[in-house]
Amino acid sequence: MRTSGFLPSILLDRARNVGLLVTLILCLLFISFFSPKYLSIDNLLVVALQVSFVGIAALGTAYLIIGGSVDLSIGSQYALCAVASAMLARSMPSGLAWFMGIVLGAFLGLINGLLVWRISISPIIITLGTLTIFRGIALRITNGFGVRGVPKSFAAFGQARWLNIPTPVLVFALLALFARSILQYTRQGRHLFAFGGNREAAEAAGIDGKRMLLLCFAANGALVGTTAVLAASRFGTAAPTFGAGFELDVIAAVILGGVVFTGGEGSIAGVILAVILLGVINSGLISIGIDPHYAQMVKGLALVIAVTLDQITQEQQERHRRRMASLERATSA
Amino acid sequence: MINKNSPRRVPVFRGIGITKYFGGVRALDQVSLDLLPGEIVALVGDNGAGKSTLVKIFSGIYRTDEGDLWLGDLRVPHLTARQARALGIETVYQNLLLCDNLGAAANVMLGQEPVRSRFGPFEIIDRQRSLQEARKHIAELGIDLPDLEIPVRRLSGGQRQAIAIARATVKAHRLIQFDEPTAALGVRQTQATLDLIRQVAAKGVAAIVITHNLDDVFAVAHRVVALRLGRISLDAPVEQTSREQVVACMTGMSFQRESL
Repeated sequence: MRTSGFLPSILLDRARNVGLLVTLILCLLFISFFSPKYLSIDNLLVVALQVSFVGIAALGTAYLIIGGSVDLSIGSQYALCAVASAMLARSMPSGLAWFMGIVLGAFLGLINGLLVWRISISPIIITLGTLTIFRGIALRITNGFGVRGVPKSFAAFGQARWLNIPTPVLVFALLALFARSILQYTRQGRHLFAFGGNREAAEAAGIDGKRMLLLCFAANGALVGTTAVLAASRFGTAAPTFGAGFELDVIAAVILGGVVFTGGEGSIAGVILAVILLGVINSGLISIGIDPHYAQMVKGLALVIAVTLDQITQEQQERHRRRMASLERATSA
Repeated sequence: MINKNSPRRVPVFRGIGITKYFGGVRALDQVSLDLLPGEIVALVGDNGAGKSTLVKIFSGIYRTDEGDLWLGDLRVPHLTARQARALGIETVYQNLLLCDNLGAAANVMLGQEPVRSRFGPFEIIDRQRSLQEARKHIAELGIDLPDLEIPVRRLSGGQRQAIAIARATVKAHRLIQFDEPTAALGVRQTQATLDLIRQVAAKGVAAIVITHNLDDVFAVAHRVVALRLGRISLDAPVEQTSREQVVACMTGMSFQRESL
């Protein structure tokens, strides 16, 4: 839970987001120095578009990890929803096909949620299993090929622009605002933090953990379905190889954004900043002519540095607590 | 068992003939206990005597195999944890069950945050009121806690203990159970915690305190109940007993022979 009303804790909690923002600005300055066209509106919209796909999924993953769980199968859900939606568009109105893609995502998420709830081993292992299963289904129903014969109307959703803003960007912005408000201001958001912080304590306080976990998994699936449908619609078709490694991009952004992998800590603002930062690093390095393989390394490095800083801060806090405890003992003795 | 001191007061909670088996082991054997409003009962006994089992039965976590629970005039044959909470029974566990990532206010109000408005199924927390109410509950117990919003993991053991007690008192209007509340505390923090227990009881709530510390028993309790091998071996007002008798009843050594 992010807190306020106490200056040091504000500074400590916001430090992450300020750090991300400063890094982002430095990156933009650096890139625009070598490639002045990078900061043009048109180019920034392209970057925003690329960022949106990871961003929408990152919102769901942020909720899951804050709640103490995770879903590794999102890349495969992405592929399955995309090909299913494109295939359905051949035999039904495009609008319905988009909708079915999102519903399928929610359903796949719910399956994961039920498995994670029922089987008491790490969600990493369980969703690693469903990652393979969902990818297998996507490959089977397409025979491994891209979907052909998708009507042109299917592309309308992903390629449309409102006030020159591409649909995925708009969808990401609206969902991000919604996700942040729910997490920050509602009882449900508070309970998610509580559940991720101490499951037993949350349930002792009467919070229905099962319901919350299932809802988070289903919502996460629906978000992945939304990304998948947007991407498929944008390309006008889909392939079963979509979204390979997607989960790594998403989880890296979420962790870099300050969500703690053990649960109970994080903010949507941080996740959004991290998603944008990684997107800018990716596209920026390419635009200034650096081998894109370096972008991969830089992204990984950013993640390692971020969690290292987290670890160090945590250890300092722990030391502080020990000092306080020994002080308490000393004054009472 | 009727308390001889105050026969006119009505028990808020009664356990009659409670027996509990774990496999073939009889953890509790015909235990009967009446709890009066405002009364602090120290529950003592060796490891495995059945103290924790009894507390878990009272909080609805375990079911009795034999025996009845009465909450006032209401007979509850199978008390569930949810029912226990709804009927005003709270337990402060040794591990406190706090959400370390949340602030004191959020912990105290957890599960019953005041709602300002709704947005579809989402309930928006009235943050100011939540803070005020938490502050009121914390202040009522005389706890000094300047910042109610920093994560409680940054607080000391004594402060965290106080928050767990404050949270329990928000909901407990019948019975509040303390599982070794002073085990991890220093002298001053122990005093503060015993004060909190007195204040909670002074509100008319019955209190059970599990403890291994006989100083605590005689400092805070009105009545001491000793369990030995699942049976009650002593149930007496503190004025009518002694450390030696309590120890004897806990260990099973004959008190008479000891004192000879």
